[in-house]
Amino acid sequence: MRSRPVLLGLAVVGYAVMIVPILFVVVSSFTAGKTLSFPPQGFSLQWFEKALSYTPFIDALGSSVLLAIVSTILALGFGVPVALGIARGRMRSAPIIQSFFVSPLIVPELVIGLALYQQVMITLRLDSFVALLIGHIVILLPYTVRVTGATLALSDTSIEDAARGLGAGPWHTFRTVTLPLMRPGLISAALLSFITSFNNVPLSLLLQSREFRTFPVTMLDYVQQSYDPMIAAMSTLIMAGTVVIAIIAERTVGFARIFGGINQ
Amino acid sequence: MIRRPQLLLVPGAIVLGLGFLVPSLLMLFSPPGTSPVEVFERLGAMLTDPYDLSIIGRTLLYSVIVTLACIVLGFPIAFLLARSRSRFTGLWLALAIFPLLLSTVVRTFGWLVILGSNGAIGQLIVALGFADRGPQLLYTPLAVVLGMTQLFLPLAIITCYSAIAQVDQNLDDAARGLGASRTRTLWTVVIPLSLPGIVVAATLVFAGATTAYTTPYLLGGTGQRVLATQLFTYASVTVNWAAASATALIMTVLVFIVSGLSSLVARKGAVE
Repeated sequence: MRSRPVLLGLAVVGYAVMIVPILFVVVSSFTAGKTLSFPPQGFSLQWFEKALSYTPFIDALGSSVLLAIVSTILALGFGVPVALGIARGRMRSAPIIQSFFVSPLIVPELVIGLALYQQVMITLRLDSFVALLIGHIVILLPYTVRVTGATLALSDTSIEDAARGLGAGPWHTFRTVTLPLMRPGLISAALLSFITSFNNVPLSLLLQSREFRTFPVTMLDYVQQSYDPMIAAMSTLIMAGTVVIAIIAERTVGFARIFGGINQ
Repeated sequence: MIRRPQLLLVPGAIVLGLGFLVPSLLMLFSPPGTSPVEVFERLGAMLTDPYDLSIIGRTLLYSVIVTLACIVLGFPIAFLLARSRSRFTGLWLALAIFPLLLSTVVRTFGWLVILGSNGAIGQLIVALGFADRGPQLLYTPLAVVLGMTQLFLPLAIITCYSAIAQVDQNLDDAARGLGASRTRTLWTVVIPLSLPGIVVAATLVFAGATTAYTTPYLLGGTGQRVLATQLFTYASVTVNWAAASATALIMTVLVFIVSGLSSLVARKGAVE
Protein backbone atom coordinates (compact mmCIF):
# COMPACT_ATOMS: atom_id res chain seq x y z
CA MET A 1 0.00 0.00 0.00
CA ARG A 2 2.72 2.45 1.02
CA SER A 3 4.26 2.52 -2.42
CA ARG A 4 1.00 3.40 -4.18
CA PRO A 5 0.55 7.10 -3.34
CA VAL A 6 -1.49 7.95 -6.45
CA LEU A 7 -3.99 5.10 -6.03
CA LEU A 8 -4.27 5.72 -2.31
CA GLY A 9 -4.81 9.45 -2.86
CA LEU A 10 -7.59 8.83 -5.40
CA ALA A 11 -9.20 6.28 -3.06
CA VAL A 12 -9.20 8.79 -0.19
CA VAL A 13 -10.87 11.40 -2.43
CA GLY A 14 -13.42 8.77 -3.54
CA TYR A 15 -14.34 7.79 0.00
CA ALA A 16 -14.55 11.46 1.02
CA VAL A 17 -17.00 12.22 -1.81
CA MET A 18 -19.15 9.22 -0.83
CA ILE A 19 -19.11 9.52 2.95
CA VAL A 20 -18.51 13.16 3.97
CA PRO A 21 -21.92 14.48 2.82
CA ILE A 22 -23.63 11.70 4.79
CA LEU A 23 -21.61 12.55 7.92
CA PHE A 24 -22.54 16.23 7.56
CA VAL A 25 -26.22 15.30 7.52
CA VAL A 26 -25.89 13.22 10.68
CA VAL A 27 -23.85 15.83 12.57
CA SER A 28 -26.06 18.77 11.61
CA SER A 29 -29.22 16.95 12.70
CA PHE A 30 -28.15 17.33 16.36
CA THR A 31 -27.91 21.13 16.20
CA ALA A 32 -29.50 23.29 18.88
CA GLY A 33 -29.68 26.19 16.41
CA LYS A 34 -32.60 27.24 14.22
CA THR A 35 -30.94 26.95 10.83
CA LEU A 36 -28.92 24.42 8.95
CA SER A 37 -25.42 25.79 9.30
CA PHE A 38 -22.09 24.22 9.86
CA PRO A 39 -20.55 23.73 12.39
CA PRO A 40 -23.80 23.07 14.31
CA GLN A 41 -24.62 25.32 17.25
CA GLY A 42 -24.78 23.27 20.43
CA PHE A 43 -26.33 19.84 20.87
CA SER A 44 -30.01 19.01 21.08
CA LEU A 45 -32.57 16.45 19.97
CA GLN A 46 -35.22 19.12 19.20
CA TRP A 47 -35.20 18.47 15.43
CA PHE A 48 -35.80 14.77 15.96
CA GLU A 49 -38.85 15.65 18.05
CA LYS A 50 -40.08 18.02 15.33
CA ALA A 51 -39.49 15.46 12.59
CA LEU A 52 -41.39 12.76 14.45
CA SER A 53 -44.36 15.03 15.09
CA TYR A 54 -44.53 16.40 11.52
CA THR A 55 -47.50 14.43 10.15
CA PRO A 56 -46.81 14.73 6.39
CA PHE A 57 -43.51 12.87 6.96
CA ILE A 58 -45.00 10.20 9.18
CA ASP A 59 -47.96 9.62 6.83
CA ALA A 60 -45.64 9.38 3.84
CA LEU A 61 -43.35 7.02 5.76
CA GLY A 62 -46.34 4.73 6.39
CA SER A 63 -47.34 4.89 2.72
CA SER A 64 -43.83 4.06 1.56
CA VAL A 65 -43.43 1.12 3.93
CA LEU A 66 -46.84 -0.24 2.86
CA LEU A 67 -46.02 0.17 -0.83
CA ALA A 68 -42.58 -1.40 -0.40
CA ILE A 69 -43.94 -4.43 1.48
CA VAL A 70 -46.86 -5.07 -0.90
CA SER A 71 -44.78 -4.60 -4.05
CA THR A 72 -41.97 -6.80 -2.69
CA ILE A 73 -44.42 -9.62 -1.91
CA LEU A 74 -46.08 -9.34 -5.33
CA ALA A 75 -42.77 -9.05 -7.19
CA LEU A 76 -41.60 -12.24 -5.46
CA GLY A 77 -44.95 -13.88 -6.20
CA PHE A 78 -44.59 -13.16 -9.92
CA GLY A 79 -40.80 -13.42 -10.14
CA VAL A 80 -40.05 -16.64 -8.28
CA PRO A 81 -42.17 -18.86 -10.59
CA VAL A 82 -40.42 -17.23 -13.55
CA ALA A 83 -37.00 -17.95 -12.02
CA LEU A 84 -38.08 -21.56 -11.37
CA GLY A 85 -39.36 -21.97 -14.91
CA ILE A 86 -36.11 -20.62 -16.36
CA ALA A 87 -33.80 -22.60 -14.08
CA ARG A 88 -35.66 -25.92 -14.03
CA GLY A 89 -37.73 -25.91 -17.20
CA ARG A 90 -35.01 -27.14 -19.60
CA MET A 91 -36.29 -24.71 -22.19
CA ARG A 92 -34.04 -23.92 -25.14
CA SER A 93 -35.11 -20.29 -25.17
CA ALA A 94 -34.26 -19.73 -21.46
CA PRO A 95 -31.66 -16.97 -22.10
CA ILE A 96 -34.11 -15.01 -24.25
CA ILE A 97 -36.87 -15.41 -21.65
CA GLN A 98 -34.46 -14.23 -18.94
CA SER A 99 -33.57 -11.10 -20.92
CA PHE A 100 -37.25 -10.37 -21.50
CA PHE A 101 -37.91 -10.41 -17.76
CA VAL A 102 -34.94 -8.17 -16.90
CA SER A 103 -35.72 -5.75 -19.76
CA PRO A 104 -37.28 -3.05 -17.49
CA LEU A 105 -33.77 -2.47 -16.13
CA ILE A 106 -32.54 -0.88 -19.35
CA VAL A 107 -35.45 1.56 -19.70
CA PRO A 108 -35.07 4.72 -17.58
CA GLU A 109 -37.43 4.57 -14.57
CA LEU A 110 -38.64 8.08 -15.28
CA VAL A 111 -39.76 6.84 -18.71
CA ILE A 112 -41.63 3.87 -17.17
CA GLY A 113 -43.20 6.34 -14.73
CA LEU A 114 -44.31 8.62 -17.57
CA ALA A 115 -45.78 5.69 -19.51
CA LEU A 116 -47.78 4.51 -16.49
CA TYR A 117 -48.84 8.05 -15.63
CA GLN A 118 -50.22 8.62 -19.13
CA GLN A 119 -51.78 5.22 -19.67
CA VAL A 120 -52.85 4.08 -16.21
CA MET A 121 -53.69 7.29 -14.41
CA ILE A 122 -54.82 9.61 -17.22
CA THR A 123 -56.32 7.21 -19.76
CA LEU A 124 -57.64 4.43 -17.48
CA ARG A 125 -58.24 6.81 -14.52
CA LEU A 126 -56.92 4.28 -12.03
CA ASP A 127 -55.89 5.18 -8.51
CA SER A 128 -52.35 6.40 -7.85
CA PHE A 129 -51.70 3.49 -5.45
CA VAL A 130 -52.56 0.99 -8.21
CA ALA A 131 -50.31 2.81 -10.69
CA LEU A 132 -47.45 2.94 -8.16
CA LEU A 133 -47.90 -0.73 -7.33
CA ILE A 134 -47.75 -1.74 -11.02
CA GLY A 135 -44.68 0.45 -11.56
CA HIS A 136 -42.84 -0.87 -8.52
CA ILE A 137 -43.61 -4.52 -9.39
CA VAL A 138 -42.29 -3.90 -12.93
CA ILE A 139 -38.98 -2.46 -11.69
CA LEU A 140 -38.58 -5.09 -8.93
CA LEU A 141 -39.35 -8.08 -11.15
CA PRO A 142 -35.89 -8.09 -12.80
CA TYR A 143 -34.26 -8.31 -9.37
CA THR A 144 -36.46 -11.12 -8.09
CA VAL A 145 -36.04 -13.12 -11.32
CA ARG A 146 -32.29 -12.58 -11.50
CA VAL A 147 -31.40 -13.01 -7.82
CA THR A 148 -33.52 -16.09 -7.07
CA GLY A 149 -32.52 -17.44 -10.51
CA ALA A 150 -28.83 -17.11 -9.63
CA THR A 151 -29.34 -19.13 -6.42
CA LEU A 152 -31.25 -21.82 -8.32
CA ALA A 153 -28.60 -22.01 -11.03
CA LEU A 154 -25.92 -22.64 -8.39
CA SER A 155 -27.90 -25.31 -6.55
CA ASP A 156 -27.56 -28.98 -7.32
CA THR A 157 -30.57 -30.32 -9.29
CA SER A 158 -29.66 -33.93 -8.48
CA ILE A 159 -31.03 -33.44 -4.93
CA GLU A 160 -34.42 -32.68 -6.45
CA ASP A 161 -34.12 -35.63 -8.81
CA ALA A 162 -33.26 -37.85 -5.84
CA ALA A 163 -36.36 -36.69 -3.95
CA ARG A 164 -38.54 -37.39 -6.98
CA GLY A 165 -36.82 -40.76 -7.48
CA LEU A 166 -37.57 -41.65 -3.87
CA GLY A 167 -41.25 -41.08 -4.59
CA ALA A 168 -41.90 -37.50 -3.45
CA GLY A 169 -44.52 -35.64 -5.51
CA PRO A 170 -43.64 -32.40 -7.32
CA TRP A 171 -45.24 -30.17 -4.65
CA HIS A 172 -43.62 -32.12 -1.80
CA THR A 173 -40.23 -31.89 -3.55
CA PHE A 174 -40.66 -28.16 -4.06
CA ARG A 175 -41.61 -27.55 -0.43
CA THR A 176 -38.95 -29.74 1.20
CA VAL A 177 -36.03 -29.46 -1.25
CA THR A 178 -36.27 -26.58 -3.73
CA LEU A 179 -37.64 -23.96 -1.32
CA PRO A 180 -34.87 -24.45 1.27
CA LEU A 181 -32.30 -24.33 -1.57
CA MET A 182 -33.77 -21.01 -2.69
CA ARG A 183 -33.81 -19.46 0.79
CA PRO A 184 -30.69 -17.24 0.42
CA GLY A 185 -31.95 -16.02 -2.95
CA LEU A 186 -35.40 -15.25 -1.55
CA ILE A 187 -33.98 -13.28 1.39
CA SER A 188 -31.63 -11.35 -0.92
CA ALA A 189 -34.37 -10.58 -3.43
CA ALA A 190 -36.78 -9.48 -0.69
CA LEU A 191 -34.32 -7.10 1.01
CA LEU A 192 -33.11 -5.70 -2.31
CA SER A 193 -36.69 -5.20 -3.51
CA PHE A 194 -37.79 -3.54 -0.27
CA ILE A 195 -34.89 -1.04 -0.32
CA THR A 196 -35.31 -0.34 -4.04
CA SER A 197 -39.04 0.31 -3.68
CA PHE A 198 -38.73 2.34 -0.50
CA ASN A 199 -36.10 4.68 -1.99
CA ASN A 200 -37.63 5.05 -5.44
CA VAL A 201 -38.06 8.63 -6.63
CA PRO A 202 -38.58 8.60 -10.45
CA LEU A 203 -41.74 6.47 -10.46
CA SER A 204 -43.30 8.03 -7.37
CA LEU A 205 -42.58 11.52 -8.66
CA LEU A 206 -45.05 11.16 -11.52
CA LEU A 207 -47.46 8.66 -9.98
CA GLN A 208 -48.12 10.38 -6.65
CA SER A 209 -51.43 11.96 -5.75
CA ARG A 210 -52.66 14.16 -2.93
CA GLU A 211 -54.00 11.07 -1.14
CA PHE A 212 -50.96 8.87 -1.61
CA ARG A 213 -47.45 10.28 -1.49
CA THR A 214 -44.28 8.34 -0.84
CA PHE A 215 -41.61 9.32 1.64
CA PRO A 216 -38.69 10.21 -0.70
CA VAL A 217 -40.95 12.45 -2.80
CA THR A 218 -42.35 14.18 0.30
CA MET A 219 -38.80 14.82 1.46
CA LEU A 220 -37.77 16.03 -1.97
CA ASP A 221 -40.61 18.57 -2.07
CA TYR A 222 -39.83 19.74 1.46
CA VAL A 223 -36.11 20.17 0.68
CA GLN A 224 -36.96 22.16 -2.45
CA GLN A 225 -39.10 24.59 -0.38
CA SER A 226 -36.76 25.07 2.55
CA TYR A 227 -33.99 23.06 4.05
CA ASP A 228 -33.91 23.11 7.80
CA PRO A 229 -32.37 20.70 10.32
CA MET A 230 -35.64 18.72 10.46
CA ILE A 231 -34.74 17.10 7.12
CA ALA A 232 -31.33 16.23 8.52
CA ALA A 233 -32.97 14.62 11.56
CA MET A 234 -35.40 12.67 9.38
CA SER A 235 -32.52 11.52 7.16
CA THR A 236 -30.55 10.41 10.22
CA LEU A 237 -33.52 8.37 11.46
CA ILE A 238 -33.89 6.71 8.04
CA MET A 239 -30.16 5.94 8.03
CA ALA A 240 -30.50 4.27 11.42
CA GLY A 241 -33.33 2.13 10.01
CA THR A 242 -31.17 1.29 6.99
CA VAL A 243 -28.31 0.19 9.26
CA VAL A 244 -30.75 -2.28 10.87
CA ILE A 245 -31.58 -3.69 7.43
CA ALA A 246 -27.85 -3.89 6.64
CA ILE A 247 -27.26 -5.87 9.84
CA ILE A 248 -30.13 -8.26 9.02
CA ALA A 249 -28.57 -8.69 5.57
CA GLU A 250 -25.14 -9.43 7.05
CA ARG A 251 -26.54 -11.94 9.56
CA THR A 252 -28.56 -13.87 6.95
CA VAL A 253 -26.94 -14.02 3.52
CA GLY A 254 -24.14 -11.45 3.72
CA PHE A 255 -24.28 -7.70 3.20
CA ALA A 256 -21.83 -7.47 0.27
CA ARG A 257 -23.46 -10.45 -1.40
CA ILE A 258 -26.96 -8.99 -1.31
CA PHE A 259 -26.35 -5.33 -2.03
CA GLY A 260 -23.05 -5.49 -3.89
CA GLY A 261 -23.55 -8.78 -5.69
CA ILE A 262 -20.10 -9.69 -4.34
CA ASN A 263 -19.25 -13.21 -3.19
CA GLN A 264 -16.30 -13.04 -0.86
CA MET B 1 -38.59 -32.07 -13.74
CA ILE B 2 -41.34 -29.55 -14.21
CA ARG B 3 -43.80 -30.83 -16.74
CA ARG B 4 -45.00 -27.53 -18.15
CA PRO B 5 -42.49 -24.84 -17.16
CA GLN B 6 -44.06 -22.36 -19.60
CA LEU B 7 -47.07 -22.05 -17.27
CA LEU B 8 -44.81 -20.65 -14.54
CA LEU B 9 -43.87 -17.75 -16.81
CA VAL B 10 -47.42 -16.72 -17.65
CA PRO B 11 -48.36 -14.52 -14.63
CA GLY B 12 -45.03 -12.66 -14.73
CA ALA B 13 -45.27 -12.18 -18.49
CA ILE B 14 -48.77 -10.72 -18.17
CA VAL B 15 -47.62 -8.22 -15.51
CA LEU B 16 -44.64 -7.20 -17.62
CA GLY B 17 -46.73 -6.94 -20.77
CA LEU B 18 -49.58 -4.91 -19.32
CA GLY B 19 -47.51 -2.93 -16.81
CA PHE B 20 -44.48 -2.18 -18.93
CA LEU B 21 -44.49 -3.06 -22.64
CA VAL B 22 -47.99 -1.91 -23.58
CA PRO B 23 -47.85 1.40 -21.63
CA SER B 24 -44.37 2.18 -22.98
CA LEU B 25 -45.39 1.59 -26.59
CA LEU B 26 -48.65 3.49 -26.15
CA MET B 27 -46.72 6.39 -24.62
CA LEU B 28 -44.61 6.68 -27.75
CA PHE B 29 -47.35 6.11 -30.28
CA SER B 30 -50.48 7.49 -28.69
CA PRO B 31 -50.09 9.80 -25.69
CA PRO B 32 -53.40 11.07 -24.27
CA GLY B 33 -55.10 13.54 -26.58
CA THR B 34 -52.31 13.65 -29.17
CA SER B 35 -51.43 11.69 -32.25
CA PRO B 36 -48.19 9.79 -32.83
CA VAL B 37 -47.40 12.24 -35.63
CA GLU B 38 -47.27 15.01 -33.06
CA VAL B 39 -44.69 13.13 -30.93
CA PHE B 40 -42.37 12.70 -33.89
CA GLU B 41 -42.92 16.28 -35.09
CA ARG B 42 -41.99 17.44 -31.61
CA LEU B 43 -38.98 15.11 -31.63
CA GLY B 44 -37.82 16.63 -34.93
CA ALA B 45 -38.31 20.14 -33.56
CA MET B 46 -36.30 19.28 -30.43
CA LEU B 47 -33.39 17.95 -32.42
CA THR B 48 -33.08 21.27 -34.27
CA ASP B 49 -34.06 23.74 -31.52
CA PRO B 50 -30.97 25.34 -29.91
CA TYR B 51 -32.56 25.38 -26.41
CA ASP B 52 -33.52 21.70 -26.48
CA LEU B 53 -30.17 20.78 -27.98
CA SER B 54 -28.41 22.64 -25.17
CA ILE B 55 -30.32 20.51 -22.65
CA ILE B 56 -29.31 17.30 -24.44
CA GLY B 57 -25.73 18.57 -24.65
CA ARG B 58 -25.63 19.47 -20.96
CA THR B 59 -27.08 16.08 -19.97
CA LEU B 60 -24.44 14.28 -22.03
CA LEU B 61 -21.61 16.50 -20.78
CA TYR B 62 -22.55 15.86 -17.13
CA SER B 63 -22.81 12.13 -17.85
CA VAL B 64 -19.36 12.00 -19.47
CA ILE B 65 -17.70 13.95 -16.64
CA VAL B 66 -19.44 11.94 -13.92
CA THR B 67 -18.56 8.64 -15.65
CA LEU B 68 -14.88 9.65 -15.88
CA ALA B 69 -14.85 10.80 -12.25
CA CYS B 70 -16.49 7.57 -11.05
CA ILE B 71 -13.99 5.37 -12.92
CA VAL B 72 -10.94 7.45 -11.93
CA LEU B 73 -11.98 7.40 -8.25
CA GLY B 74 -13.77 4.04 -8.20
CA PHE B 75 -11.17 1.86 -9.92
CA PRO B 76 -8.39 2.63 -7.38
CA ILE B 77 -10.76 1.87 -4.49
CA ALA B 78 -11.88 -1.38 -6.13
CA PHE B 79 -8.27 -2.35 -6.90
CA LEU B 80 -6.99 -1.65 -3.40
CA LEU B 81 -9.93 -3.54 -1.86
CA ALA B 82 -9.59 -6.53 -4.21
CA ARG B 83 -5.84 -6.84 -3.60
CA SER B 84 -5.76 -5.95 0.09
CA ARG B 85 -4.99 -8.57 2.72
CA SER B 86 -6.05 -6.38 5.63
CA ARG B 87 -8.75 -7.70 7.93
CA PHE B 88 -10.63 -4.40 7.61
CA THR B 89 -11.21 -4.92 3.87
CA GLY B 90 -14.75 -6.20 4.46
CA LEU B 91 -15.56 -3.11 6.48
CA TRP B 92 -14.23 -0.74 3.80
CA LEU B 93 -16.15 -2.64 1.15
CA ALA B 94 -19.33 -2.38 3.24
CA LEU B 95 -18.72 1.36 3.64
CA ALA B 96 -18.54 1.70 -0.15
CA ILE B 97 -21.77 -0.28 -0.65
CA PHE B 98 -23.82 1.23 2.19
CA PRO B 99 -24.62 4.55 0.39
CA LEU B 100 -26.48 2.47 -2.25
CA LEU B 101 -29.07 1.66 0.41
CA LEU B 102 -29.85 5.31 1.08
CA SER B 103 -32.30 7.28 -1.01
CA THR B 104 -30.89 9.76 -3.52
CA VAL B 105 -32.70 12.52 -1.62
CA VAL B 106 -30.84 11.77 1.63
CA ARG B 107 -27.49 11.51 -0.14
CA THR B 108 -28.00 14.66 -2.18
CA PHE B 109 -29.22 16.60 0.86
CA GLY B 110 -25.72 16.33 2.37
CA TRP B 111 -24.37 18.56 -0.40
CA LEU B 112 -26.86 21.28 0.53
CA VAL B 113 -25.31 21.28 4.02
CA ILE B 114 -21.82 21.51 2.55
CA LEU B 115 -22.29 23.78 -0.46
CA GLY B 116 -25.16 26.05 0.66
CA SER B 117 -24.44 29.73 1.36
CA ASN B 118 -24.44 28.98 5.12
CA GLY B 119 -22.79 25.65 4.44
CA ALA B 120 -19.52 24.24 5.63
CA ILE B 121 -17.37 25.46 2.73
CA GLY B 122 -18.93 28.93 2.79
CA GLN B 123 -18.38 29.25 6.56
CA LEU B 124 -14.80 28.07 6.19
CA ILE B 125 -14.08 30.69 3.52
CA VAL B 126 -15.56 33.43 5.74
CA ALA B 127 -13.68 32.16 8.80
CA LEU B 128 -10.40 32.19 6.90
CA GLY B 129 -11.08 35.77 5.86
CA PHE B 130 -11.17 35.18 2.09
CA ALA B 131 -14.62 36.74 1.77
CA ASP B 132 -17.29 38.47 3.87
CA ARG B 133 -20.04 36.17 2.67
CA GLY B 134 -19.94 32.55 1.66
CA PRO B 135 -19.96 32.09 -2.12
CA GLN B 136 -22.97 30.40 -3.75
CA LEU B 137 -21.69 27.00 -4.74
CA LEU B 138 -25.14 25.46 -5.09
CA TYR B 139 -26.96 25.55 -8.44
CA THR B 140 -23.64 25.32 -10.28
CA PRO B 141 -22.39 22.60 -12.64
CA LEU B 142 -19.80 21.70 -9.99
CA ALA B 143 -22.53 20.93 -7.45
CA VAL B 144 -24.36 18.66 -9.90
CA VAL B 145 -21.18 16.80 -10.86
CA LEU B 146 -20.15 16.31 -7.21
CA GLY B 147 -23.63 15.11 -6.26
CA MET B 148 -23.88 12.62 -9.11
CA THR B 149 -20.33 11.35 -8.55
CA GLN B 150 -21.25 10.60 -4.95
CA LEU B 151 -24.44 8.90 -6.13
CA PHE B 152 -22.86 6.56 -8.70
CA LEU B 153 -19.42 5.91 -7.19
CA PRO B 154 -20.59 2.82 -5.21
CA LEU B 155 -21.90 1.29 -8.44
CA ALA B 156 -18.54 1.86 -10.16
CA ILE B 157 -16.65 0.40 -7.19
CA ILE B 158 -18.63 -2.84 -6.87
CA THR B 159 -18.63 -3.46 -10.62
CA CYS B 160 -14.86 -2.86 -10.92
CA TYR B 161 -14.26 -4.89 -7.74
CA SER B 162 -15.98 -7.97 -9.16
CA ALA B 163 -13.94 -7.64 -12.36
CA ILE B 164 -10.59 -7.17 -10.60
CA ALA B 165 -11.28 -10.00 -8.12
CA GLN B 166 -11.57 -12.36 -11.10
CA VAL B 167 -8.10 -11.44 -12.37
CA ASP B 168 -5.75 -14.06 -10.92
CA GLN B 169 -3.38 -12.37 -8.51
CA ASN B 170 -0.63 -14.79 -9.61
CA LEU B 171 -0.53 -12.85 -12.88
CA ASP B 172 0.32 -9.63 -10.96
CA ASP B 173 3.00 -11.53 -9.08
CA ALA B 174 4.39 -13.05 -12.29
CA ALA B 175 4.66 -9.62 -13.92
CA ARG B 176 6.36 -8.26 -10.81
CA GLY B 177 8.70 -11.26 -10.71
CA LEU B 178 9.67 -10.63 -14.33
CA GLY B 179 10.75 -7.14 -13.31
CA ALA B 180 7.72 -4.97 -14.13
CA SER B 181 7.12 -2.06 -11.79
CA ARG B 182 3.88 -1.91 -9.80
CA THR B 183 2.57 0.82 -12.11
CA ARG B 184 3.48 -1.15 -15.23
CA THR B 185 1.82 -4.29 -13.81
CA LEU B 186 -1.34 -2.30 -13.19
CA TRP B 187 -1.45 -0.84 -16.71
CA THR B 188 -0.36 -3.92 -18.66
CA VAL B 189 -1.94 -6.75 -16.62
CA VAL B 190 -4.75 -5.73 -14.28
CA ILE B 191 -6.42 -2.97 -16.30
CA PRO B 192 -6.51 -4.85 -19.65
CA LEU B 193 -7.83 -8.02 -17.99
CA SER B 194 -10.53 -6.20 -16.02
CA LEU B 195 -11.44 -3.90 -18.92
CA PRO B 196 -14.80 -5.57 -19.72
CA GLY B 197 -15.84 -4.93 -16.11
CA ILE B 198 -14.64 -1.33 -16.26
CA VAL B 199 -16.68 -0.83 -19.44
CA VAL B 200 -19.78 -2.24 -17.71
CA ALA B 201 -19.19 0.08 -14.74
CA ALA B 202 -18.85 3.07 -17.05
CA THR B 203 -22.06 2.13 -18.86
CA LEU B 204 -24.05 1.77 -15.64
CA VAL B 205 -22.82 5.15 -14.37
CA PHE B 206 -23.43 6.84 -17.73
CA ALA B 207 -26.98 5.47 -18.00
CA GLY B 208 -27.70 6.48 -14.42
CA ALA B 209 -26.32 9.98 -14.88
CA THR B 210 -28.22 10.52 -18.15
CA THR B 211 -31.53 9.73 -16.46
CA ALA B 212 -30.87 11.12 -12.94
CA TYR B 213 -33.54 13.49 -11.66
CA THR B 214 -33.07 14.22 -7.94
CA THR B 215 -29.52 15.55 -8.05
CA PRO B 216 -29.83 17.98 -10.98
CA TYR B 217 -33.18 19.11 -9.53
CA LEU B 218 -31.88 19.84 -6.02
CA LEU B 219 -28.30 20.89 -6.75
CA GLY B 220 -28.65 22.35 -10.24
CA GLY B 221 -31.75 24.48 -9.78
CA THR B 222 -33.41 26.04 -12.79
CA GLY B 223 -30.16 27.08 -14.43
CA GLN B 224 -28.88 23.55 -14.99
CA ARG B 225 -31.81 21.87 -16.73
CA VAL B 226 -31.22 18.32 -17.96
CA LEU B 227 -33.40 15.82 -19.87
CA ALA B 228 -34.86 14.26 -16.70
CA THR B 229 -35.94 17.56 -15.10
CA GLN B 230 -37.25 18.72 -18.47
CA LEU B 231 -39.31 15.54 -18.87
CA PHE B 232 -40.89 16.10 -15.46
CA THR B 233 -41.71 19.73 -16.33
CA TYR B 234 -43.39 18.68 -19.59
CA ALA B 235 -45.36 15.90 -17.87
CA SER B 236 -46.43 17.69 -14.70
CA VAL B 237 -46.15 21.44 -15.04
CA THR B 238 -46.86 22.36 -18.66
CA VAL B 239 -48.67 19.05 -19.42
CA ASN B 240 -47.30 18.80 -22.93
CA TRP B 241 -47.64 15.08 -23.68
CA ALA B 242 -46.01 15.17 -27.09
CA ALA B 243 -42.95 16.93 -25.68
CA ALA B 244 -42.80 14.61 -22.64
CA SER B 245 -42.97 11.52 -24.86
CA ALA B 246 -40.36 12.92 -27.23
CA THR B 247 -38.01 13.68 -24.31
CA ALA B 248 -38.57 10.17 -22.94
CA LEU B 249 -37.72 8.77 -26.37
CA ILE B 250 -34.47 10.78 -26.56
CA MET B 251 -33.46 9.62 -23.07
CA THR B 252 -34.21 5.96 -23.81
CA VAL B 253 -32.39 6.02 -27.16
CA LEU B 254 -29.30 7.60 -25.53
CA VAL B 255 -29.22 4.83 -22.92
CA PHE B 256 -29.73 2.15 -25.60
CA ILE B 257 -26.93 3.54 -27.78
CA VAL B 258 -24.46 3.59 -24.89
CA SER B 259 -25.45 0.08 -23.69
CA GLY B 260 -25.17 -1.24 -27.26
CA LEU B 261 -21.75 0.34 -27.80
CA SER B 262 -20.48 -0.97 -24.48
CA SER B 263 -21.60 -4.55 -25.13
CA LEU B 264 -19.82 -4.35 -28.51
CA VAL B 265 -16.63 -3.14 -26.79
CA ALA B 266 -16.94 -5.78 -24.07
CA ARG B 267 -17.44 -8.56 -26.64
CA LYS B 268 -14.46 -7.38 -28.68
CA GLY B 269 -12.38 -7.31 -25.49
CA ALA B 270 -13.45 -10.85 -24.67
CA VAL B 271 -12.49 -12.15 -28.14
CA GLU B 272 -9.03 -10.59 -27.99
